[in-house]
Amino acid sequence: MIQATDEKDIEIERRFVPKAKDINDEIAWAQINKDVLRSMERPRLMYWVIFLASLALFGFGVYCEIYQYQNGMGAADLNNPQVWGWYIATFIFWIGMSHSGTLLSAILHIMHADWRKPIYRFAEAMTTFSLMTAGLFVLVHLGRVWEFYYVVAYPNERWAWPNFNSPLVWDATAIGTYLTSSIVFLYFGMIPDLAICRDNAKGVRKKFYWLLSLGWQGTDRQWANFRVAYLTVACFLIPLAVSVHSIVATDFAVSQQPGWHITSFPPYFVAGALYSGCAAIITLFIVLRYVFRFEEYMTMPILDKTCRLTFAIAMVWTYLNLVEYASVWYGDDPVAKQTLLFRATGDYATYWWAMNFLGSVVPFALAFKSLRNNIPVMLVVSLLLNLGMWLERFMIVTPTFAHGYYPWTWTDHWMPNWVQYGIVAGSFGWFSMLFMLFCKIFPTVSMYEVKEMVYHRFVARKARA
Amino acid sequence: MSKAHTLALFNDFEAAGRALQELKASNLPGFRMEDVLIKSPIEHPELSEMLGSRPVYVQLYTMAGAVLGSTIGFTLIASAQANFLQQIRGGRPIVPIPPDMVLTYELFILIGVLMTVVGCFIAWKLPGNRSPLYNTRISEDKIGILVKADPLVIPKVNGIFERHQPLEIMGEQGR
Amino acid sequence: MSLSNLIKNWSTLRVKRPYEDQYKDKDYKWAMVIDLDACTGCNACTTACYAENNLPVVGKEAFSKGQAMHWIRIERYWGEGDELPKFPDRGAQFLPMLCQQCESAPCEVVCPVGATHHTPDGLNSQVYNRCIGSRYCSANCPYKVRYFNWWQYPERAWPNPLEQQLNPDVTVRSKGVMEKCTFCVQRLVEAKNRARTEGRRVEDGEVTTACAQACPTSAITFGNLADNKSQVAKMWARQQVDLAKDKQEKSDENMRGYRIFEDLRTYPSIVYMERIRDLQA
Repeated sequence: MIQATDEKDIEIERRFVPKAKDINDEIAWAQINKDVLRSMERPRLMYWVIFLASLALFGFGVYCEIYQYQNGMGAADLNNPQVWGWYIATFIFWIGMSHSGTLLSAILHIMHADWRKPIYRFAEAMTTFSLMTAGLFVLVHLGRVWEFYYVVAYPNERWAWPNFNSPLVWDATAIGTYLTSSIVFLYFGMIPDLAICRDNAKGVRKKFYWLLSLGWQGTDRQWANFRVAYLTVACFLIPLAVSVHSIVATDFAVSQQPGWHITSFPPYFVAGALYSGCAAIITLFIVLRYVFRFEEYMTMPILDKTCRLTFAIAMVWTYLNLVEYASVWYGDDPVAKQTLLFRATGDYATYWWAMNFLGSVVPFALAFKSLRNNIPVMLVVSLLLNLGMWLERFMIVTPTFAHGYYPWTWTDHWMPNWVQYGIVAGSFGWFSMLFMLFCKIFPTVSMYEVKEMVYHRFVARKARA
Repeated sequence: MSKAHTLALFNDFEAAGRALQELKASNLPGFRMEDVLIKSPIEHPELSEMLGSRPVYVQLYTMAGAVLGSTIGFTLIASAQANFLQQIRGGRPIVPIPPDMVLTYELFILIGVLMTVVGCFIAWKLPGNRSPLYNTRISEDKIGILVKADPLVIPKVNGIFERHQPLEIMGEQGR
Repeated sequence: MSLSNLIKNWSTLRVKRPYEDQYKDKDYKWAMVIDLDACTGCNACTTACYAENNLPVVGKEAFSKGQAMHWIRIERYWGEGDELPKFPDRGAQFLPMLCQQCESAPCEVVCPVGATHHTPDGLNSQVYNRCIGSRYCSANCPYKVRYFNWWQYPERAWPNPLEQQLNPDVTVRSKGVMEKCTFCVQRLVEAKNRARTEGRRVEDGEVTTACAQACPTSAITFGNLADNKSQVAKMWARQQVDLAKDKQEKSDENMRGYRIFEDLRTYPSIVYMERIRDLQA
């Protein structure tokens, strides 16, 4: 009798609560170890193609930076009103990209969303490396990069401190905090997996993982402390991530310029950050799935969930974007209004409309299941979304300089020259180079958490049977 | 009194659980439940509960870090602004509250995170705490139970293990 | 030490500026009046500034890219108000634009390293050695009067033996540094030192900026606002412009004195006197 109701329950659940099976839960634990460790040994040829291509891009970026360093910032074709150019736009882009790693690894961890487990490790690595790239842009942007340490509050005999009022100092502090915390979080969450690597590696690698795994043996005391500490750091990371991009937004919101001095900038920036980060996760998901043959772990249902999450965030961003325009319009400040009109109809109108199209219309592709489950389409869509988000940053920075308060300094169609193109391209090379190296050296799929995932499903199934 | 170690490997959590149950009920002389360690590839709270309460103190470090980070952070920033090279900037007060709050908040998180991890390392007694007897299969899919006990009791403990189909029993000579 | 200092002086550390009569008991507050009606757009001020402050002449190419270094620039505007004639029959009107030495300067707040800050005599100073070139000050300046050294100008602008004509009192700036009008601070410092040696205050007319000195029509008046008897203070008072107010209450609507972008609450130290034009002529 009881048996029958149970079966009925299962039947009802199967029919009315359709749950996509995230990963095959029959998979053996030993198999998980084997598959993930294999990814660190022999990836597909595509790995080396991507790695060498990004190395070449990075090399070109370094060349451009050396050229700019020796000649001065004029080499980048910046001028008096256009003092920031693409460097700051791309800086915000990279900072933004880092936020979704935290979304997956911290927020979804606290909410016990199981599906994040196979993919959060690379998302967290993406956070770390895009923060490093963003940090690079701060340096590239400085006129006297050799004096960059003046921004840091270090004790010195001249009693000269940084200006704590400046949003740039907040930036430096926030990014420093975020980079430190996310490296700690990434490494800390990886310790059990590093122990697995240690147990299976040979030679120099064994020594390396032996050092990094800190003598992890999976004892109950280690697990208990690990769980509490990991959860605590995750709780710290969520407000931290929000604060970091809000602070980046204050770079603009604190200033007085039209088009920047907008109260809704911090949430707008945070939404944009999560958006571009999620799109980047989709891209990297597809790349890693192919390159490291992770079809078993980075499965279509997980991609589907990531896409749905991205769609939701895209709509949040669209809303905040419209709120920004609407509040400027109804705020009726003539200068701010004119700057908005300039964006929509002036020199940069093409980019502005492209940004709105890519940011608000293209994500609707994510609303269709058939498109969501089509890998090539998703690859293109996710790249387009990130292009849109990059244009958003470009549209925040440049038109305000081109059409600010002082009419005498309005500029014609300003676009950067090859040095800026080169450095921006080089940053993508630097990021993917670091990311690819990471994937080769460290386990990209969290083995112990996939085991947990499989185990819980196994237990649940057994309890039901 | 010298102690010896023994480690038994089990195939799944059920077998390990049954072995623990029996160990607990055995009341062997020279053996305490506190000296038992479970080594497992994933966390299994139900199993660790059988070992009795093993409190975690990491939160205390977090608390200390958060409090220290915010108080020391604010004090350092404000007194740096108030030193004898006071500079007036943009008509703002020399010690402005909102910017200092932003920075204090960041330091609160930074020190909080670092202290949490340090607290966890202290709880792990790292670096250098390598508990004896380890099998690489534990990191794969097996569950190990490590017992530290009087050398005389070890055969009896092994006897208990034997009854629950262990894959392997590793031992060492008592020092 | 710092902590006790912090606690002891808390209330003074929390003062917001500018406030009414801030410079009443002070010795100096440098300020300026520019009479647009007198300005003929001859650019003598700009030239004088180049000579006095070691400004590099950047050359045609860099100038066309907008990388010029003119601390004071003469802006031309065609037409009055909404009227924008295609062929201006009465010529342009001119506006000399230089750093407004704002009392609540947007640039000072945002500089990450504190390279720009306010001096006790009301100047918006720029410390070249401290500047790291983040260019945030320029981004936040509503007047866009800050100039960045985009190139290593000294090597190009003064080939040997032209470096002999440089003003020895003024630093030559290297690439990657922000700079702007200083109200000829080297002259002010010298005058203040001389006066202090003689145990008095700098008198009105004793010191002036290079641009004011060179102006053939005396459109620029420079002086000490803290000194009630100075020319500048009298003109400010006559035009009923108050340094610490963002909205001036004037008894007569036809009064010509105004400050640019007052509603941004930057509290500039330069009063412009509107141009008078006979539109019927």
